[in-house]
Amino acid sequence: MGIFPFLLQAQTAANTSANYLPIGIQLFFAIAIVVVIMVVTHWLGPKRKTADKLATFTSGIPSHGDARQPMSVKYFLVAILFVLFDVEVIFFYPYAVNFKQLGWDGFLAVLMFVGFFLCGFIYIIKKGALKWED
Amino acid sequence: MNTIIISAIFGVLMMFSSISVKRVSAYKYIAAFGLILLLIMNIAETYGFQLFHVNTRDMLRFDRFGLFFNSIAIAATLIYILLSGRDVEAVGKNTCDLFVLIFFVMCGIGIMSSFNSLLMLFLGIEIISIPLYILTGSDKKNLKSNEAALKYFLMGSFSTGIMLMGIALLFGATGGFALDRPATMFGPLPVNVMEVIGLAFILVAMAFKVSAAPFHFWTPDVYDGAPSVFTSFMATIVKAAIFIGFIKLFEAKAPDLGQGWHIVIALMIVATLFIGNITAIFQQSVKRMLAYSSIAQAGFMMFALFSQNDTSKEGIILYSLAYSLSTIGIFAILIKMKDVTFEGFNGLARTQPVLAATNAVFLLSLVGIPLTAGFWAKYYMLASVVKMESALWLVIVAVIFAAVSVYYYFRVIQAMYFKEGEAALATEVKPGFRFGLILLAAAIIVIGVMPNLLLNWLYF
Repeated sequence: MGIFPFLLQAQTAANTSANYLPIGIQLFFAIAIVVVIMVVTHWLGPKRKTADKLATFTSGIPSHGDARQPMSVKYFLVAILFVLFDVEVIFFYPYAVNFKQLGWDGFLAVLMFVGFFLCGFIYIIKKGALKWED
Repeated sequence: MNTIIISAIFGVLMMFSSISVKRVSAYKYIAAFGLILLLIMNIAETYGFQLFHVNTRDMLRFDRFGLFFNSIAIAATLIYILLSGRDVEAVGKNTCDLFVLIFFVMCGIGIMSSFNSLLMLFLGIEIISIPLYILTGSDKKNLKSNEAALKYFLMGSFSTGIMLMGIALLFGATGGFALDRPATMFGPLPVNVMEVIGLAFILVAMAFKVSAAPFHFWTPDVYDGAPSVFTSFMATIVKAAIFIGFIKLFEAKAPDLGQGWHIVIALMIVATLFIGNITAIFQQSVKRMLAYSSIAQAGFMMFALFSQNDTSKEGIILYSLAYSLSTIGIFAILIKMKDVTFEGFNGLARTQPVLAATNAVFLLSLVGIPLTAGFWAKYYMLASVVKMESALWLVIVAVIFAAVSVYYYFRVIQAMYFKEGEAALATEVKPGFRFGLILLAAAIIVIGVMPNLLLNWLYF
């Protein structure tokens, strides 16, 4: 199968620096694509500036006022809760990867985790943290 | 294990009780019930009854000392809730949540007294600290409370960061998080520089958490700004719990550090005693004076860290209890006062004789006058250092500073008994509160007469 045989060996080999080669390649491509796209668009794209084009685009309506206005704290509350629950979902990934090996013990542990998770969710709903209007 | 699990579960249950229970005055009884349950379960575990059999993979190790400390911490919290529960209701709208946070702190205390892995130490410290940040800022309308919370949060998370760096270095040096020294084929792993630096980092972070000089700067502002009820909790039970963790950690690690360790700790003790006691003298507010006195008392508790023998283990238990009970009592009275400066106490003995008399007992206990629990606490601490026979100068310094502390504690007694004035209370005092204070003062005197009544529990 062979153009990159080391990619297949990686799982069985012991910890050697060659194991990190695929990660290195991915990192290289990830950075290279960003750099190439940014450089190429700057380089190829025509630059014709007019007053209309430089104005802030607000769906065709002339923009007015300052964007820096006091914002409802509720927004931050929802944002923080989103981050909280979003981050907790990440804990499912390691479980999903090791799903079979962990067996029923792992399932019960995750069930407990989800249970606590749910408690928190019910709590914030009951506290009215997600109520937008008060 | 019982303490950790039950306090967490009861905390969550109580969190939900705020949905169905609408009467604010009911929460403190729910909390008191939870603490009694916790106390019973913890004592049951001390005698071999475990509700849950969890394989902790040696990350937690439950021994007699830790479990006994748990009992003391829970009992002190129970007393605290019974005495000051009404004042928690006065703090903010979310009364139930404030009690819940105290339960979560108890969970952290359970971990602090039993950790056997640096990861668990970190978890315990964080589980204790995060609810405290919230409790500090719980008086949302008060600017000082907000300032204190922000200050505490920023400095606390910074010190936690330093601690994590130390743990990372230790992990790098020893290849594990366990407290026990890993063995190699050729005997125990030799100590290397990275490990010592890592331990120094952890020492800094722990010294910050117990407010030992020179990492004490946050203490007066935070203790002064936080609502008095929670200052009382932070300065007593939590501080003692962190000390237990501190001692547990360095009991395992200090033998690797050699002679330099003793010099560092001795310098920290002297600095803490000096700064705590001398600055407390110049305070005008009793609350702020108590914040500095808590720094000074931390200096005494650090003797247990310095000597690390049997006497010091008994001593730290006694000290935790004596200091916690006395300070909880003083704060319970302080919260009721209209004016928390020294002048505010003028003539309290005439208007409220019971409050003044019990307050005097608590203050005498903090000074360490014989026949109070505080005397034996200080005695055991100093005796543990005397037994080492190498650091008598430290004992002399400590005795001198204990004498200095008489000045500012007695200023309160002097104001209460010998000064003319009309000490006014902010809130009405109920007979139950007076009765609780009398019981607390009686307990302090009983322990002061017979400290073995308490210490025997450590062995039987």
